Amino acid sequence: MLALVAAGLLAAACGNGETILNAGNEPATTLPVEAPATLPPVDTLAPGDTLAPGETVPPDDTRPPSTTLPPPTTTTIPLADLAECPVDALDEGSGTVELTLWHGLNAESETALTKLTDAYNASQSEVRVELQNQGNYSQTIDKYVQSSQGSRPDVVIFPEYVVQQTADSDSVIPVAACVEESGYDTSTFQPSTLTAYSTAGVQWGMPLGVSNPVLYYNKLVFEAAGLDPEIPPRSLDEVRQFSQQIVDSGAASYGIAVDSGTDSGGGWFLEQWLANEGELYADNGNGRLAPATRVLYDQPPGVELLTYVQQLITDGLAFNVGDNAGGTDTFFKLADESAPAAMTIGTSAALGTVIAALGGGLIPGLTVDDIGVGAMPGPGPTPTALVGGNALFIVKDKGDEKAAAAWDYITYAVSPEAQSQYVTDTGYAPVRADALDVEPALSKYASDPRFRVAYDQLIASPDDPALQGPILGPQREVRGVTARAVAEIFNGGDVQAALSAAATQANLLIADYAARN
Amino acid sequence: MATENINFESPRGWRLAGRYMLLAVVTAVVLFPVYTTVIAALKPGDKVLQNPLVPDAFTLDGFSDAWTAGHLDRYLLNSFVVATVITIVQLLTSVLSAYAFAMLDFPGRGALFVVFLATLLVPFEATLVVNRRTVDSLGWLNSYQGLAVPFLATAFGTFLMRQVFLGMPLDLRDAAAIDGVGHLGFLRHVGIPLVRPTLGALALFSFLGSWNQYLWPNLITTEDDMNTVQSGLRLLRSSALDEPNLLMAATIIAAIPIVVVLLLFQRQLVRGLTAGAVKG
Repeated sequence: MLALVAAGLLAAACGNGETILNAGNEPATTLPVEAPATLPPVDTLAPGDTLAPGETVPPDDTRPPSTTLPPPTTTTIPLADLAECPVDALDEGSGTVELTLWHGLNAESETALTKLTDAYNASQSEVRVELQNQGNYSQTIDKYVQSSQGSRPDVVIFPEYVVQQTADSDSVIPVAACVEESGYDTSTFQPSTLTAYSTAGVQWGMPLGVSNPVLYYNKLVFEAAGLDPEIPPRSLDEVRQFSQQIVDSGAASYGIAVDSGTDSGGGWFLEQWLANEGELYADNGNGRLAPATRVLYDQPPGVELLTYVQQLITDGLAFNVGDNAGGTDTFFKLADESAPAAMTIGTSAALGTVIAALGGGLIPGLTVDDIGVGAMPGPGPTPTALVGGNALFIVKDKGDEKAAAAWDYITYAVSPEAQSQYVTDTGYAPVRADALDVEPALSKYASDPRFRVAYDQLIASPDDPALQGPILGPQREVRGVTARAVAEIFNGGDVQAALSAAATQANLLIADYAARN
Repeated sequence: MATENINFESPRGWRLAGRYMLLAVVTAVVLFPVYTTVIAALKPGDKVLQNPLVPDAFTLDGFSDAWTAGHLDRYLLNSFVVATVITIVQLLTSVLSAYAFAMLDFPGRGALFVVFLATLLVPFEATLVVNRRTVDSLGWLNSYQGLAVPFLATAFGTFLMRQVFLGMPLDLRDAAAIDGVGHLGFLRHVGIPLVRPTLGALALFSFLGSWNQYLWPNLITTEDDMNTVQSGLRLLRSSALDEPNLLMAATIIAAIPIVVVLLLFQRQLVRGLTAGAVKG
């Protein structure tokens, strides 16, 4: 009954499918790119560069060696060719510079961002940042894409999967330009977080919070099933084993709740799982050596992986909540009175919200301490994670003062102090290691290990091409078609057929994007 | 209760009983979401998911919190302004164009009317992106113009009003012309008073339609202050994710004006829409 009503509440509340803390499941709009038509299709050249159709980009010595791969066409773009970042313009200005910032963060993540921004506004008088919530990531991206440059905000927060689109749209100042211009020190940053927001050697956005999927589980159920509540499963094999024990003991109806949402089980987790096996998601080194031309998840590793998860559902060990519109369905399945699941996988960014909801007494019989967090179990023996989350982008052509003001805000947002507070409020991992040396994160990470799971699995991930994650132009759209295939599979469809069909569609999207850029 | 009069001795009585049973079931299905919404809105935050169908705790905090946290006053004002402007101008454009199509004879009238009706076949969604770009290039994002102007004329209104004007004897128009009354004078003194029921229905229709608009306001609004109540609810949903009671209260507040309008004018709505159905 509880589940029914919870679902009713959510259905009434959510309407169209967007996730709680992440972006939506709506069909995506493709970013119309304003790059000159004379660009050769596969190059990610600096906007404004025009090459004759036959001409190639001069080779660059810094590119990775290419023994087995086709010659990389992605080169390091000279920063001088990109929009400049006048970091000193603020000092010359007089009066307060007003900045608008678009974001799509929800619940505790939004509260934390507001707190951070209020603190910034109070800390100085030259810049005032106004946050404008556009509903979710999907809405933020759509509105940004469809707006003229003049109607766009001064700063925008985008998730990691639109980096390529943003770079190709020629609408932002690469933060690399600001880093260089101001001599900003990024040595304490997690290298992978900076890579995640870079294409062709240029860092476009400054990561604000890093999230990755983690395992949420009900400790009470673990105890009832005779499992150690402090030891969550670390691989999919263990998930199966634990689930069997939970179901057999009658401690819960299901071991794990899964979903086929675009930004969770249907799209994002698949990227994470393939990386966990050391498998590429797309060709050309996940699209990092050269623009990807096709996805690889319809190959045997992807098929085996999803067959395994499908089998969990078939065997009654996992419960499929569907597309998880609202992003809360998997969590509510843990609180389902009649047929609960013991575990689910969700973004670490939800931790703050989960704790706030449980602390507020939303779920009867479940307190804040009853929920455990473990690393994301995957097909490999040890957990790993790709960088998820979001980054700040500076919109160009807004005037030197605004660009400088935006950079000032960004340096505040990623300062160790601000990061420390932000990760404590939300469950995001910090983008820099030294944020954990200051309060409040210092105590938080020590007193509540749940907060450090996402961080630990991120820094434990080996430096491997697969673990840089895929970067595709139409990544959002590709996730969409992939999620539909996963939904089909979770409902009992043929795995190979569903994945092959999705891959065909995804490859068309990629080809179409390449042709237009 | 009507059921008391059912005579179970006759087959007709049983049929009636069956009909009421069916109605009761359908009513329960329709009212169930409304019921859960009201119950959830009236419960304190920590009780919403406990006995969710039983109204065992009662507080109005949800409503006051929703009002302040959700900026509902501003959203309601925006919705009201936009819906009112759209309604008034739609009536004006519908009446004038319908009058022309029905009472005036001009070359190409038939063809033009067909083209007019053809616009009914193009769903708004199909023109969404283009419309947004136009509004953007005019600098009308986050403005009342942007919210209202795309909806100031509607083929449906023209069609509806034309049907009514067609049913009006041309002799009326001729008589007025003999008295020296022009087109606008005729409309003002004779035409509009005669079509008032249909006009009322159209007004109600326009108002409901624009009040309930969601996609368009959501698309062209990026500043909080310019949200209508429907797009504002969405924002509240994202920030009040763990407070279902607050969200349900806001939903009820957003629905109240429309319920009031409907209750006041529903007779007119039915009468007006059927008025054109039978010619004469």
